[in-house]
Order: sequence, then C-alpha cells, then structure tokens
Amino acid sequence: MLNSIILSYTTFVYFAAFMFYLLAMVMNREILARIGTFASLIGLLAQTVGIILRWVESYSLGVGHAPLSNLYESLVFFAWTLMLLYMIVEWRTKNRTFGTFVTPLAFLAMAYASFSPNISSHIQPLIPALKSNWLISHVITCFFGYAAFALSFGLSLMYLLKRLDSEERNNIFLKLIPGLRILDDLNYQMIVVGFLMLTLGIITGAVWAHSAWGTYWSWDPKETWSLITWFIYASVIHSRMVRGWKGKRIAILSMIGFACVLFTYFGVNYLAGLHSYAK
Amino acid sequence: MVNSKSKNRSNVIWGFFSSVKLTIVLLIILAIVSILGTVVPQEQGAAEFARRLNPAMLQIFTSLDFFDMYHSIWFRVLIGCLAMNLVICSVDRFPAAWKRFTLRPEPDRTKPFDNLPPHQSFLAQGTPEEIANKVNKLFQSRYKKTRKKEVGANLFFYGERGNYSHFGVYLVHLSVLLIIVGSLVGSFFGFDAYVNILAGEQIDTVMLRKTMRPLKLDFTVRCDKFTVDFYENGAPKEYRSDLSFLVKGKEMAKEKLLVNHPVEFMGITFYQANYGSIPGKTVRVKISCNTAQPTVIDMKVEAGKSIALPGGEGKFKVIDVRGDIMKMGQAALISVQPNQGKPVDFWVFKHGEMARKMLPEPMLKSPKFNPSAFKPYTFFLDGLETKFYTGLQVNRDPGVSIVWIGCFFMIAGLFVTFFLSHMRIWVHLLKTDQGMKISAAGTANKNPVGLQRELEHLTNDLKDLFGKKG
Repeated sequence: MLNSIILSYTTFVYFAAFMFYLLAMVMNREILARIGTFASLIGLLAQTVGIILRWVESYSLGVGHAPLSNLYESLVFFAWTLMLLYMIVEWRTKNRTFGTFVTPLAFLAMAYASFSPNISSHIQPLIPALKSNWLISHVITCFFGYAAFALSFGLSLMYLLKRLDSEERNNIFLKLIPGLRILDDLNYQMIVVGFLMLTLGIITGAVWAHSAWGTYWSWDPKETWSLITWFIYASVIHSRMVRGWKGKRIAILSMIGFACVLFTYFGVNYLAGLHSYAK
Repeated sequence: MVNSKSKNRSNVIWGFFSSVKLTIVLLIILAIVSILGTVVPQEQGAAEFARRLNPAMLQIFTSLDFFDMYHSIWFRVLIGCLAMNLVICSVDRFPAAWKRFTLRPEPDRTKPFDNLPPHQSFLAQGTPEEIANKVNKLFQSRYKKTRKKEVGANLFFYGERGNYSHFGVYLVHLSVLLIIVGSLVGSFFGFDAYVNILAGEQIDTVMLRKTMRPLKLDFTVRCDKFTVDFYENGAPKEYRSDLSFLVKGKEMAKEKLLVNHPVEFMGITFYQANYGSIPGKTVRVKISCNTAQPTVIDMKVEAGKSIALPGGEGKFKVIDVRGDIMKMGQAALISVQPNQGKPVDFWVFKHGEMARKMLPEPMLKSPKFNPSAFKPYTFFLDGLETKFYTGLQVNRDPGVSIVWIGCFFMIAGLFVTFFLSHMRIWVHLLKTDQGMKISAAGTANKNPVGLQRELEHLTNDLKDLFGKKG
C-alpha cells in the first residue's frame, strides 16, 4: 500500500540526514549540516503524509482508526514524534550537532518497522479492547514521553563525549558539540517534558484500563515497567532539584532511564513470550 | 514526641525520613524489586513456574511472597516508607517554602541590576510624576504584591508573579498520597470478582478473585443475549451482552454491555471481559441402519435421555459430550443398552474422517472408537448445540474517585513545579540630565528562560508607554 511505501522511503531519508549531520561534524562543514536539516524536514514531511494517508486508507478499507494500533504503527509514530521534537530543539537552540545523535534513533525505529520480517505493515482492524477514545490520547502522550527521553539519551551521550574534549586533543568532532552547561540544561528540560508526558501516559492508560478491564492497575508487565521507568526518572528529578546533582551523574541516570524505556517498549513483549513458554 | 525521652529517638527517625537521599534510594529499590515481579510469574501464572523450582527455592520464593509480590507485606512496607518519607520531607521543608512564598524583598535592591544587559534599560521623556504614574499603573496591573520606594533621585518598583509555584511540589506529593489512599480504600472496601452467564440464564452470585469464594449480590443479573461479531479476517470485532438487572424478581434495568463500555448497577460495575462456549445438552445424531434396506435417521437427542433404537433392539443414550477432544473436534459418548446383555459404549466424532486419521492404530481397533460397534447400526455425530456464555468482570471500587483526584493533582502539580516560577521583578527609575532612565531586572527560583522572556516583554511594554518602539 502507498502509505507503507512512503514510510519505508522515509527510512532512507532519515539515514541520509544522519549521514549529512555526521559528515558535517567530522569535516567541520556547516553546509552539510544544513543539508541534514533539509533532509530531516523532507523526511518529517513525507512521514506526516504517510501517516495521514494510512489513516485515510484505513477508512477506505472500512476499518477506520488512527494509525496507532500495532507495533508497526507505534514505531512509525515514535520516529515521527522524535523527529518533530528534534526539529523543535534544533530550531530553538540553533545548533545542528544534536542531529548526529538523534536521527540514527529515528532511522533505526523506521528501519525496524519497515524491514523486520516479524512486523506486519498491514492495516489491521481494531479488536474490541482497543476500540476506545483513550487509545489516541494514551499513545500520543506515551510516545511524546518516549521521544523526549530518547532526546535526553542523545544529549547524555553528547555530554559524556564532550567531557573527553580538551585543548590538547583538538578533535573537531568533539569541539563542535555544544558546551557542557547547555547540554546539561537541555537534558534536564527533556527529562522534565518526558516525565510529564510519561505521567500523563500512565494516567490515561489507567483510566482506559479501568473502563476496559475494570481495574486501573493490574501489575501487568507493561504497566510495571512503565512504573519502573517512572521511578527512575522521578529519582533523577529529585536528585537534581533537591540534591543539586548535575552533569555526568544525571547523564548516566538518564541513560539508565532510557534503557528502561526501551524495555517497557520492546522487552516486555519478550517477557510475555517467556510467560507463554512457561504456560 | 511530648516527653523529652522519646524526643531524641523521634529526632533520629525524623532525620532519617526527612532525607531526600532516602527518597532516591527508595525509588531505586522500588524500581529494582518491581522488575522481579515482571520476571517471576504472578498469581495465576505462578503454579506452573513453581512446579519447576527445586524445593529449597520454592520455600524461599513462597516465604517471601514472590508469587504475589505486589501485594506482599514487604512491598507494602516499602510503599509505606515512601509515603512516610514524602510526608515528613514535605512537612520538614514547608516552613522554608512558606518563607520564600511570603518573603518580600525591599524595592530598592540594586543587586538584580548588576550586569544589566543594555536592552533592558532606556531613556524616557516627561515629568517625573507622569512617568512614575504610568509605570506604577502598568506594574499594578501586571504583578502582585507591588511596592514602590523613593530614595533620593531614584524610584524603585517591586512586584512579583507565580509565588504559589513554591507549592506545586506539595501538590504532587499530596497526589501520590491520594493515589495510595485511594488504592487502600479500594482494597478494603471494594471487591474484584468475575462471573460467567450462559445466554438466557441468570445469576445472583459472583466469584471473588482473591479468595475464590462466591459472593451473593443484592440483585439478579440475566444475560438476555450474547453476540460476537467478527471481521472478515476472523479477528473479533465486538462482544456484546444484553443484560437485565432484577431486584426481587422485578426488572429494574436493561443495559447493553460492550468492551470499553462498562455498566453500573447499584454501585457495582460490570465489564465485558471475555466469552466462551460450552456444549449444550442437545446432540444431533444420524443413525444408519445397514440392513437389506439401508435407512438413515436424523434425530435430535437430549444428553442423558434413553431413546429406543429404530429396530427395537434396545435403547441408546448420549452419556458424555465434549466440545473438543484431543484436538479432534466435537465428540459424543454413546451408550447402547441392548434388550439383553451388557451396554456397548463408544465415541463418535463430528469429523469422523479426521479422527480416524489422527487416532493411533490400536485405538482404532478398539470398539470404544468404532461407531459401528453395535450392529447393524452406525452412529454419526452431526453436531453439538453449543451455548455461549459471557464472561463478566464484576467490581466495586469506592477508592477509584480518590485515585482520579490524585491523578489530576499530580498533573497540575507537575505542571506548576516544572513550568511556573516565582518571578520577582524590579524596575528602577533614575532622573538623569538626558531624561528618566528606566531599567528592569528580576530573579526567579527556576526557569531562567521564562524570566528572560518576561523581562523582554516588560521592557517592550514600558517602551510602548513612552512611545518608543521596542
């Protein structure tokens, strides 16, 4: 179908954007970074068209629903929120080096969605449990949270790399990364946005679970892992707000937090597999 | 805490629980132990897992409640510690927050004006009174707790905004407590049960999940109809139960129940959880008589009822029905009682051909699986009438509204804590030979970007007052 063709092409556009951003930093050529931004914008635009088209196509198939209902659609949406949030950050900070650390995540998500043999890109009708108005608000809040945490992960990585920078080393790549202070502030902002979105995501999920299953919390692995992620980022925020932790420690904690995000997203499927094996 | 002896001890406890280090440690411990419960199967799934453990491990696992860890004492103690920590931390820090909330610095502070960027000050023309009045008016409308002070040739204005943002974090902490209280109220005064109702039948008891004991309701629920719709690809589209609620035999309400659309009656909520089918009592059989003139008879028989064979050689009855036996589909156990002699029992399958291919050789030879075991008849199973039942989740949770209030407070509190700040703004008017020099400066407890934006807006509005384009 047209939408999945457009979306699979987006994968390559994001890869191209990543390459331009990376080359710009290695060769210290601003023009390449500009091309990277241009490619990212094209990719984001194409992806937006792809998602809308998928939505429209689902209606013409008679099973109309927002394209947020299975792993394929969620991966596509994740890449979309990540790129959208990244474009906002790039525009606000006027710095293009972040791109090198964020676009590969969007590319990987799209590549996994488009080319993994285990993921079907077919539009599937909604099963009764998913037929709820909470689907859209739950998925959107969760994925904006994930995207903010992914950006925070990229910023943490940049922070740890920037610490290696020194006069003697004289490495262009490291030199181009913005200062530690800026990275740290931006990282914290992303954690805050992500935390608020994750909280909203958990709450909308709880409201939905309450109307679908009769209980707002049932300690199912996905719920529990989202709570684990919440605990980790809550401790990051407390250590920063009250204890004044900064820099390296926050960067490392944020990376641990992102590992939890990834596990909440993908690892839980594997756990469910363990369960069915155990049965 | 009243007598002096215990004061020392309570100070130690207070000190322990008022530390944010403890909060961070507790949050990380909670995160780590929660992982355990996602790896070890909980509750229903636990039995199979437990069987594969060696006895010593099983002992450890059961004594530590690992199979239901989220409801175990030690997990609740951890949550309790977090709640205690949260309360004591909040109480401990409240006076400082109150001070920051009420503190009103002198209007003539000059420190905020150190290193003032040039775009935050400009010259205005006019009489000093006129200028002061205009600035004062703008200040009054824009900020709270405004004050002004004149020191020689200097006139200072002070105002602030967002002073309540100091309490955002208290709102968040309160929300966590509300959610914990709400869940406790739910577990003490609510229940969590399920029930299956066959279409056309009614129930007045449900099964509690926790204790597996029946619970009698004050009313009767009847399932008038149950329907399942499927998509073309075979995936389920909609489950729907038409329910009637009866009190003392009198119908009080009729509701349709769908997934995601629960129904409430007398404080108890019903959710469409699942459905299933069981073989009913009616069996459609075909009997062929292999005599000189073969005849085939179709009949509907009720399981358990004896029916005379067409030729009068005896009677037969269906003594067991199975919806699916060994993955070979529907089957019925038929027992033929001849007029004289022992009864002959054998299974007949709906998919006889398939069953014959799947059954191992020795079983095929056994009369137990031979539909022609009683000569001269051959029995065939046309089908079982299946009955659908609807599976309902039945709950009462009086704590849920407390949880929702908590959730709302949490979002509001986080928003205030993260995005609003207590801004203190000063404006300094200084008479000079070139005119009145107006400068604006400020401080904020967080969000320096927001403060910068506010100062820019203020300076622009001040410039507009005096006809200067920002």
